Amino acid sequence: MMIISLQSYRSYKTSRDGVNWDLSEAVPRLPGETHVADKEVIYICPFNGPIKGRVYITNYRLYLRSLETDSALILDVPLGVISRIEKMGGATSRGENSYGLDITCKDMRNLRFALKQEGHSRRDMFEILTRHAFPLAHSLPIFAFLNEEKFNVDGWMVYNPVEEYRRQGLPNHHWRITFINKCYELCDTYPSLLVVPYRASDEDLRRVATFRSRNRIPVLSWIHPENKTVIVRCSQPLVGMSGKRNKDDEKYLDVIRETNRQISKLTIYDARPNVNAVANKATGGGYESDDAYHNAELFFLDIHNIHVMRESLKKVKDIVYPNVEESHWLSSLESTHWLEHIKLVLTGAIQVADKVSSGKSSVLVHCSDGWDRTAQLTSLAMLMLDSFYRSIEGFEILVQKEWISFGHKFASRIGHGDKNHADADRSPIFLQFIDCVWQMSKQFPTAFEFNEQFLITILDHLYSCRFGTFLYNCESARERQKVTERTVSLWSLINSNKDRFKNPFYTKEINRVLYPVASMRHLELWVNYYIRWNPRIKQQQPNPVEQRYLELLALRDEYIKRLEELQLANSAKLSDPSTSPSSPSQMMPHVQTHF
Amino acid sequence: MEFSELIRTGRAQAELLRGPGAPPLRGTLCVTGHHLLLSPGPQATSDLWLLLLRSVDSIEKRVAGDSGTITLRCKDLRVLQLDIEGVEATLDIARSIEALSSLESVITSFPFFYRPKGLRLGDAWHFHPPEHYYKRVARETNAWRLSEVNEDFSVCPSYPRAVIVPRAVDDDALARSARFRQGGRFPVLSYHHAPSGTVLLRSSQPLTGPQKRRCAEDEELLRAVLAGARPGARGFIVDTRSAQAAKQARMTGGGTEAKAAYPGWKRLHRPMERGRPLQESFVRLVEACGDLEQSMDRWLSRLEGCRWLAHVKEALSTACLAAQGMEREGACILVHGAEGTDSTLLVTSLAQLILDPLSRTMTGFQELVEREWIQAGHPFQLRCAHSAFSHARPKHEAPTFLLFLDCVWQLGRQFPLSLEFGEGLLLALFEHAYASPFGTFLCNSEKERCLCEVRTRTHSLWSGLNQPKEQRKLRNPLYVLNPLAIWPSVEPQSLRLWQGLFLRWTRPPEPSEAAWEKVWQIVTDKEKTEGSQPTVSASEPQP
Repeated sequence: MMIISLQSYRSYKTSRDGVNWDLSEAVPRLPGETHVADKEVIYICPFNGPIKGRVYITNYRLYLRSLETDSALILDVPLGVISRIEKMGGATSRGENSYGLDITCKDMRNLRFALKQEGHSRRDMFEILTRHAFPLAHSLPIFAFLNEEKFNVDGWMVYNPVEEYRRQGLPNHHWRITFINKCYELCDTYPSLLVVPYRASDEDLRRVATFRSRNRIPVLSWIHPENKTVIVRCSQPLVGMSGKRNKDDEKYLDVIRETNRQISKLTIYDARPNVNAVANKATGGGYESDDAYHNAELFFLDIHNIHVMRESLKKVKDIVYPNVEESHWLSSLESTHWLEHIKLVLTGAIQVADKVSSGKSSVLVHCSDGWDRTAQLTSLAMLMLDSFYRSIEGFEILVQKEWISFGHKFASRIGHGDKNHADADRSPIFLQFIDCVWQMSKQFPTAFEFNEQFLITILDHLYSCRFGTFLYNCESARERQKVTERTVSLWSLINSNKDRFKNPFYTKEINRVLYPVASMRHLELWVNYYIRWNPRIKQQQPNPVEQRYLELLALRDEYIKRLEELQLANSAKLSDPSTSPSSPSQMMPHVQTHF
Repeated sequence: MEFSELIRTGRAQAELLRGPGAPPLRGTLCVTGHHLLLSPGPQATSDLWLLLLRSVDSIEKRVAGDSGTITLRCKDLRVLQLDIEGVEATLDIARSIEALSSLESVITSFPFFYRPKGLRLGDAWHFHPPEHYYKRVARETNAWRLSEVNEDFSVCPSYPRAVIVPRAVDDDALARSARFRQGGRFPVLSYHHAPSGTVLLRSSQPLTGPQKRRCAEDEELLRAVLAGARPGARGFIVDTRSAQAAKQARMTGGGTEAKAAYPGWKRLHRPMERGRPLQESFVRLVEACGDLEQSMDRWLSRLEGCRWLAHVKEALSTACLAAQGMEREGACILVHGAEGTDSTLLVTSLAQLILDPLSRTMTGFQELVEREWIQAGHPFQLRCAHSAFSHARPKHEAPTFLLFLDCVWQLGRQFPLSLEFGEGLLLALFEHAYASPFGTFLCNSEKERCLCEVRTRTHSLWSGLNQPKEQRKLRNPLYVLNPLAIWPSVEPQSLRLWQGLFLRWTRPPEPSEAAWEKVWQIVTDKEKTEGSQPTVSASEPQP
């Protein structure tokens, strides 16, 4: 720490030459965010050419302000989005702006800065950035642990598993809540609180765990409020090459099946392509065979693994950044297969939802480890089935439950604070899920309480490391690190300013199942996310829709409030005009749309 | 004329399948002179089902056992299936539909018989005459006048009676310039952009021919345009053909404006597809959209292969070029291709939408369509004789007007608040351009409409659409006046397939219609709140 403060002192001093400015005003700073260094650089903007600017590096962000009078460019990049920092050119490279740094980001963009070639001018910037963008490699804390932001709501209180299960009507005659995993002894990647069949004893659960990859036994995710069918999630059975069987596992699935008496079979959705499931036998995994599980029907959903998804997104980036592939846009887009993967994930989730809702059959979902594709399928199916999850808080609970508590490996998939950009564990599985949610919200414009900005904000903070929400791989690790005590939750930020994230056209509906059309014709690339850095894609007017939506939201709230007030006034039979509610124009200055 | 000769059978029992989302209808099928009717039995609750025969694009019949099936593919891209009892009845009905749906005579078409309640004949026909637009131009500048040189349609058969021309040019010169332009379409004013004082003109190609002929009056006309704008003003001629194609046109008597002959004017070539290739692109797209069997893995490249979105991009970017020329460069723009009745109108009308906030209102847009398409002589009858399903060899069909509507839809999607009308109006215009009970889109020109007495004997679509009960479908509830130009992004990522049109009949309409209804609710709630405001605040002191 000593070295850093020296370093920052030095750069702070050098920054003063010639430029008179006030640091506290120039850079937005969060409580707990500290200035580390600043430097004059040339930002090589892929859209507008080189722009001279000053870059400020804090322990949270990289902030660039243009020094050119005719350009008001500002870059504000949390260091957490940086996946790779490379030096470009050498001390002797020729050509303008050929010497500097090339920064690859996790959010579909790259940043290039050119520096003066004399005197190794990029060396300290490289080192400082590396240190703060990849704190894990330098034994530094992730910024979320330094963040001292205060919000008037505590996002950590949003998800309470007991309450959520109670909302679902659990426990009931067939399902019980168990604390067997209280100290994460049964399964270290599962949450401490699990819902299991009433008829399965803790001893049964322990035996089943030996036959499921990483002990991720089948547990309840969601129960249908009327027909009592359930979505159960788990990992693959450890069948192996020899085709091992496990009586306890077989019996356990039968117990699950029997909790629902409407259909004589349990439906198992294996998210993987058939061949991959077979290939997994070689490493000890596999799937439920017909002879071992008489009362189950198994379907493969053909969703590819994390490596395929990573490569697919890489191809998307290739065609959208910095320059958008123009001449054969649609066929280039097709060759990334990104939308096809989206289609398969959505199709799988629709099948799960339909089976539970119309097919009246309980469903078991797994892939290999049950923390990537399984999370996608259960959470999307729950979003289709249960309108509660389509509200802002409901969605937060859904993410908190199916993704965070059930051990989607956010730390490995995103690589928070880790410099190993080529790590094969990284994969945009959660992004893909959010993309699916966006596709659904496009098809059902009134069904979701949240808007596009909500989803983009979640994705931005998936990488930013400003909040503790997406840190670590599982609940047990989070508990060890005391994440809820030591960091702020993303939901605190969102819930303390919900209006920004609301969809004005939201109509609350109970018990309506949404079946999106998962045909390629009806899916589209999420341009506002994937290509948002390209100014040519944007309209030249600053978000008129957003502005108008806000207006409408305000008007709607106003209307509802007025209606209530009028009703109140009526019922009280007040005749005195001075007590009537003031006009809307007084309560809220009429918002003009400026273009 | 007796339609009864063409009607082979009066009635038959049938079941109608209307695609996903709509329940089948059973009842008595009946062919009349202009309609196909299905009246459900007395116990049924649903109303009479009616289809304008003119909207049938292709018909396919199949018989098996003692019943038959007729598949009707409609010009609005709907596909209907009729299961009919009796083989004879099926064949007879099929033949009747075939004969009646392809009648070419204008004056026996349905608009001449359509007499809806609540509308009076002749009401809306003088709603948008060129005189009306001239009044607006005259308020902004006095460099232009309204000429009636084409009073009897003899100077240019495809122009309306009155056109707006430079004040400095007299009618004789106009007539001579007309002789130098294909089809007599001499340069006329399409739009005056008041903020920059520049104008948008349109015409057809000059008849320079292989000898490179010139015409002093035509040159004078364009010189007067620049002089009328402001001293030293420049002009751009946007030719919607490639330089090569324009040059080749000389061999058949056409050509382009020679640089030396038109000082101050610079020629730009922006090749746009028209005619057959455009129609084929439309047919391919509709085929792809209707092909539900095909494996969807190749959908995007198939969509690209249809090239429809490429045409949308061409049209929008050429319109942007014209609009930019006026707004940013302060230049006058003349647009033409060969005949000046297709891609030319596409460019001039889109450029106005980009620049002119008034043309983005409900009435302004209707005026624009009336002025820049109908009165400007886009040959609707030829271009829209068939839609995408016809097996007949296309002759003059081309979906130029549909391409225009698609471009407007793209503008509306990119600027969701700036158009006063919504998708509903665009869909209605598409339907009515191809088959309509109204007379608005009949014939190819004002001259023909005059001969057929369309204005006195049919109802105008505008009066039909402007009835209060239609408004909620047609208007954009989010509209707020945007006084600025709206520059669309024409990157391929910004352009979308118009699902509301091309996938209209194959997708469940429910979510989007529910959303539309919801938006209306919120907005009307807001109006109610505002409406009640004066009564509440009246007694309160003003802050």
